[in-house]
Amino acid sequence: MSGRVTFVDHGVTVEARPGETILAAVCRTGYFYRYGCRRGGCGVCKALVVDGTVTHAAVVADSVLTPEEAARGLCLTCRAVPNGDIQLRLVDGDELRCVSPLLAGALNRALTKEIL
Amino acid sequence: MSVMRMGYVHIRVTDVEAAKKHYTRTMGMQVVAEGDGTAYLKCWDEYDHHSVVLEEGGVGLVKLGYKVETPEDLATYEKRAQKFGASVSRMGKGENLAVGDGVRIMLPSEHVLELYNDIEYLGTETGTLNPDPWPRDGVGVSAPRLDHALLTADDVETTERFFQEVLGFQAVERAITDPADPMLIGTWLSCTNTPHDIAYVKGPNGKLHHFAYAMEDWNSILRAGDIFSMDDVPVDVGPTRHGITRGGTIYFFDPSGNRNEVFCGGYIVYPDFPTITWTADQLGKGIFYIQRELNERFTSVVT
Repeated sequence: MSGRVTFVDHGVTVEARPGETILAAVCRTGYFYRYGCRRGGCGVCKALVVDGTVTHAAVVADSVLTPEEAARGLCLTCRAVPNGDIQLRLVDGDELRCVSPLLAGALNRALTKEIL
Repeated sequence: MSVMRMGYVHIRVTDVEAAKKHYTRTMGMQVVAEGDGTAYLKCWDEYDHHSVVLEEGGVGLVKLGYKVETPEDLATYEKRAQKFGASVSRMGKGENLAVGDGVRIMLPSEHVLELYNDIEYLGTETGTLNPDPWPRDGVGVSAPRLDHALLTADDVETTERFFQEVLGFQAVERAITDPADPMLIGTWLSCTNTPHDIAYVKGPNGKLHHFAYAMEDWNSILRAGDIFSMDDVPVDVGPTRHGITRGGTIYFFDPSGNRNEVFCGGYIVYPDFPTITWTADQLGKGIFYIQRELNERFTSVVT
């Protein structure tokens, strides 16, 4: 299932392809936020799902994402695949930045138009 | 009497099959034994039974093994570690597959270090009689051997002192905050004639920053980088050169997020080697000589 990931504090929406993780979709579309190993080992890319659900596409260690954190809606965005449209909030003061306007413009123009 | 080298790195992985694929298909190691969610692997130029143990469940370091020169060394290091105040116990033959009796030490950095002398001999892939320089059918990166590990410690100074006083390592390079008011924030320690057999930077106790494979030269580092792209391995930093150790490097992550390194070069360390010092304001250059800056990921991601 593909899904739109909307960053509620930034007003940015990116579309994840079927099976694509949140982080992969964000990087593919020219955006960036703080992430580490990209393989679920460090927990640097944690974010809060405020609406909708995600599925972790690989086994996630309890020491990296504790069951309590998961219950609160936190996910590892390098491993989390959205189940349809979701609303996401970055944590620990992290900010979403557009690092490749070229990619962001080309890939998101149609999507943004549609939402607006 | 001496600690000869780092012998094995025992790590946790979230998915042992995915990890095996990385360490065999990408890194070119060979599985020598497996079962119960644990796999034992060695590199082609290593002759002891294994150098990497992958244990399913979690991420990060379980323990490190260092091989000592003689069986008698075990008692000596045991006594010295006790005198230092470390928690020490004996480990029996077979507690680790193919490994004999040994001494298990809880380091001041809260990492488990195992010293052993006896481990099953398997031999290198090229053998010892008129050997070829490398195996004809090497897979992927085809890393020849393990080289060192970098761990994090809250108290780098005490940990360094432990390795010097108890285990006879020498501090080859050190990183300090400010020469006027020095606090030790990193140490690169050698028990061989290479620039580091273990290293520490300031950080949380018990954590792994990376473990590294020794590669032949700069070309093999570049070639490894190509393979990381082919295999979609996340690269942290590199290819570049370290100021510290002068080595060539790429840092990358295994499928559980444990950091690995391919490392080449470095100078020779003799017992009278004069220790090199880096100051914090130049540490960017010390770690990554070409870029001269530390990325946040490199300094914050540990498993």
